[in-house]
Amino acid sequence: MSDHDENHSHAGTYFAVFIALCVFTGLSILADALSFSDRNITRVLVLAVASAKALCVMMYFMHLKFESAWKYLLLVPTGILAFALPFALFPDVGAHYYTPDVPQVREYALQQAAAGTGEHDHGDDHGKPAAEHH
Amino acid sequence: MSHAHAAPAFRMGIPIPNGKLGMWLFLGTEIMFFTAFIGTYIVMRMGSPGWPTDIHVTHINIIAGGVNTFVLILSSYFVVVAHDAVLQKNPSKARTFMTASVLLGILFLGIKSFEYYGKFDYDILPGHVAESDRQSMEKLLTIVQTRMDGHLSAAAPQSAKREREDLLAELDTKITDLQAAGDDKKAGGELQKAQAIRKLYNEYINLRDHIRAEVSFAIPFAELDKLRTETDVSKIPTLALGPFPGHHHGEEYAPPADTLLGHVQKSILTDPELGPLMSGFKVERIRPILYGNLFASNYFLMTGFHAIHVIIGLILFLLAIKSPLSLDNAVFVENAGLYWHFVDLVWIFLFPLIYIV
Repeated sequence: MSDHDENHSHAGTYFAVFIALCVFTGLSILADALSFSDRNITRVLVLAVASAKALCVMMYFMHLKFESAWKYLLLVPTGILAFALPFALFPDVGAHYYTPDVPQVREYALQQAAAGTGEHDHGDDHGKPAAEHH
Repeated sequence: MSHAHAAPAFRMGIPIPNGKLGMWLFLGTEIMFFTAFIGTYIVMRMGSPGWPTDIHVTHINIIAGGVNTFVLILSSYFVVVAHDAVLQKNPSKARTFMTASVLLGILFLGIKSFEYYGKFDYDILPGHVAESDRQSMEKLLTIVQTRMDGHLSAAAPQSAKREREDLLAELDTKITDLQAAGDDKKAGGELQKAQAIRKLYNEYINLRDHIRAEVSFAIPFAELDKLRTETDVSKIPTLALGPFPGHHHGEEYAPPADTLLGHVQKSILTDPELGPLMSGFKVERIRPILYGNLFASNYFLMTGFHAIHVIIGLILFLLAIKSPLSLDNAVFVENAGLYWHFVDLVWIFLFPLIYIV
């Protein structure tokens, strides 16, 4: 905490942030419990909530709101470097334009084929092996 | 040249204590460290259609994760209150809240261990998970073989060569001798056990040959040989794995007898003689999970490194609690707090990414 605000207590702010964090956690669980037909809605919701929580913790609990400009000097370069690896991996691993020939991909194709010809598929049961679609 | 001290000395660099700058620099490396794990997890998931999301298959407990999130948030709150108390020159209040944080950190690790136990119990470990029906069958065969070899080795201690054939020969001799001795009451237990192991061996051969030939258990073992001359493939019923039990519903679980799981359940696991020889095994351990190994690797890498950080945070807290918690210790308490908030921050992202998404 910066020198200027050492004299008065921040207890009230901290408690408000704590309550906000609890409410946000509740929202995440609620978003999961609502089980939207499109799972992507849940994904976007819970990650947005997580980002809001992270911002609360960084701003108030880690005092970044009260720090001077040095925080940018430190956090901007590390932030850029942190995202370098995921971005570097994404084009090949995350969104390949070709079909990779690995056993899992073939197994998944078989499962999809079995689900298509067989019984009704629940849409989000991708993790279940074909033998379970009974 | 004389030095005047009226004006405050010009201070070089960033206007925060060196210790705090060091902690922030370290946290900068930590951000890159965890983003690498979390980022590769997201990228791998996006590139793997069919990733396991059913929590009854992956044994992910969203309640446990949610409670743990709350526990970490509460502990983070207690740490800022403790730091505030240090600045307000109230060391006893600071100590109380730091101790509460330590207890919450231990609770977090306890819940985490409970979750890890579930993963070990269902064998959802990197490199252990079968990813297709075929791999499930091979895994089952390996497990039965390992158990059978273990029992055989213990029951036949004399054989010098320790080859399976020698052990089996010794076991058969033992059974014959015990039967000849005829003293049922004295040798009864031993004879029964030896016979059970022999039965498990026969069952292993039965399993192995059915799995290798991919023939349904509707065909008795004795008739497997005859199928070799069968030219019409459609007349040979193929082997199916069978449905797995639902989550924690093992009691009423009874798959069709002609499937592999049905056969294993009926002839081995619930068999009064063979069941005890396979104690601790449950069919869920061979459940095929597509991308289960990648899932387990990512899960343990992320949550494992996070748990290590929790332990280090607890050590920092204990050091802070041992100090007088006066204004002189404010920077150390703040640094320990910054580290702990970062650990909380990582969990804030791990919770939705592992438990919900």
